[in-house]
Amino acid sequence: MRPQTYVSKRSAATSTGTWSRNFNTVRHTQKNLGPIAYAGMIGAIVLMFGLIYVSQSTRATGYDYELSAIESEISELTAKKEDLAVEKARLTSIAASENSEVASSMETASASGYVAE
Amino acid sequence: MRLGLLAAMGVIVVRLFFIQIVQHDEWVEKAAAQQTLSNVLPAKRGEIYMMDGSEPVAVVMNTTVYTVIVDPMLANDEMAEKELTEILGDKRTAEWSDVFADRTRRYYIVGKNVERKAAEKIAELDMTGVWLQSNTKRVYPEGELAAGVLGFVNADGVGQYGIEGAMNEELSGTDGLMKTVKDINNVALSIGDDNIKIPAQNGENVVLTIDKTLQYNVEKILEKKSGELGFKNMSAVVMDPNTGKVLAMANYPSYDPGNYGNVESAAAYVNHVVEDPFEPASVCKTFTFAAATELGVMTADKTFTNYGEVTIDGWPIRNAEQGANLLGTQTMQTAFNYSLNTGSTQALRWMGGSETEITDAAREKLYDYYYNHFGLGHYTGIELYESPGYLVEPHADMYGLASLYANMTFGQNMQATMIQVASAISSVVNGGKYYTPTIVAGKMVNGEFIAEEKREASRQTISEETSAAMRQMLYNTRSMWRINGTDPEGYYVGGKTGTAQVIKNGAYSMDETQATYVGVGGTEGELPQYVIMVRVWEEGKLAGGQEHALPVFNELKNYVQNYLRVQPKVKEAE
Repeated sequence: MRPQTYVSKRSAATSTGTWSRNFNTVRHTQKNLGPIAYAGMIGAIVLMFGLIYVSQSTRATGYDYELSAIESEISELTAKKEDLAVEKARLTSIAASENSEVASSMETASASGYVAE
Repeated sequence: MRLGLLAAMGVIVVRLFFIQIVQHDEWVEKAAAQQTLSNVLPAKRGEIYMMDGSEPVAVVMNTTVYTVIVDPMLANDEMAEKELTEILGDKRTAEWSDVFADRTRRYYIVGKNVERKAAEKIAELDMTGVWLQSNTKRVYPEGELAAGVLGFVNADGVGQYGIEGAMNEELSGTDGLMKTVKDINNVALSIGDDNIKIPAQNGENVVLTIDKTLQYNVEKILEKKSGELGFKNMSAVVMDPNTGKVLAMANYPSYDPGNYGNVESAAAYVNHVVEDPFEPASVCKTFTFAAATELGVMTADKTFTNYGEVTIDGWPIRNAEQGANLLGTQTMQTAFNYSLNTGSTQALRWMGGSETEITDAAREKLYDYYYNHFGLGHYTGIELYESPGYLVEPHADMYGLASLYANMTFGQNMQATMIQVASAISSVVNGGKYYTPTIVAGKMVNGEFIAEEKREASRQTISEETSAAMRQMLYNTRSMWRINGTDPEGYYVGGKTGTAQVIKNGAYSMDETQATYVGVGGTEGELPQYVIMVRVWEEGKLAGGQEHALPVFNELKNYVQNYLRVQPKVKEAE
């Protein structure tokens, strides 16, 4: 019987330095980008961030305009409310009530129970 | 070519160096000025309320008014005159010929205090060179009501006189600040790292203890009585003696705080109840008799000998009432009823432990009661501008102290304000508790009335027993002087008159006197529910407590008693 010697694939591959069965035959090589491609990529990223910033700023400014308009409206309505409150106070003032048509059509009550001067 | 390019680049670099390094701060400042919106956010001045029964109602408010400005260089003169004259009406402040006389002027105010509707019409016209500027204006919808109490706000927005002046800080609030980046349309932008927005803190809305209806009618009564009695000046104060709250504080004549400039002199702004110390006269006998009673040297029934006058330090002190029936032995109640100055002088002697002399101890005791107990001659602490008045100290370095103190027993040779006297009388009749007078009932916060905490008496002036004795003396005096009988059955009403000589050119005038009356009232057998003090005067006229102040009190008392719904004591069926 012929003696058999076991040789692992790994040792076989390393000891002989040759291509063996089941080894990949693809050759890996490193490809570097050129300076123009780098600049282009960075430019694109900067542009992208710039666009995002501009669009967000524009949206924020749009909100600012909306806010400004709402604030103007609030102050306008507040001023109108104050004017109406003043008008109401004037109309319900004692002097206005006393001089009103309703008051003038009423009879004066006579006081009783007091000593005449 | 190459050299030329290098030179040009060199110039640019140098210029950039100057702009960015050397002149850095200057350019940053310029940029900030162009890009920053910096606005003061004005605080809204607090409103002032009075009570309408138990509900506060606003009597001093704010409204937006507009100033109309024309740029004569840009505006069309014919169009401005044609369109604006009618809209502005009486708010126009300039003649058109003056406005357009100088076309190089860029700013001319043509209308002030223009109301919203008119301002909106002007804005709709969209005229070139015409613009509006909004301002806040104080409004007094009740007109002249309680003007002396309220005061007014001047053109600089600062409160003057009354509560507007005394509580200016609380009413003003604190302005806020907004500092942001702006765009070309002056719209504030939220971008930027240094934006600041400090909100304005609006002024407090102050609620007064003054009852609006009561105040109105007290003023009407003063006006009516001024005409009837022929005296130009009248003041009155109505207080709750059991809390120190002022329910009405009136001066006649008054003024319109909305048009405060329309007065003859600044004297019109004076609130005579708190700012004008005077000699309150014989109403002060109430304090002298209360002090003597408290010291245990006098009762209403105690007697003294009345000679009609008494000479002290060489100065005669005479009684106004010289009837023969009042001479000889008289009770202190009689002295109080007829306001005998000799009686109050005798009470002072007794206070010092003497029958015939006004001793140092007598002066010290009277001063202690007047100044420390009753609070005469110094600030009361009411939330208004007030004058302290003046009392001469018992050991002052001057001649005639005994005579001076004898005069003080009947309210002369001293200065006190009406609020001091009314507050002191309140303590005399309410069981001896002195409440610091107040005119502030609380605050309005978000439309809700937050009342001040329950008030505690600040000191005990006299005992409850002395207070009861003084209530009886006041009742007896008023009852005796009532013509046609007494006040309505079931009510307690007491009071004391005063007629004060007035110092003119350093001496008491013989042809001018001021009249006072202090009255208290309520349900019979209970503590009084109101105190009313009246003062009547006119320069060069003789006013009498009995003849002029009493009738005013009577009419006020009838109204106040009714308005406060004071109930008569229910008598049990026999």
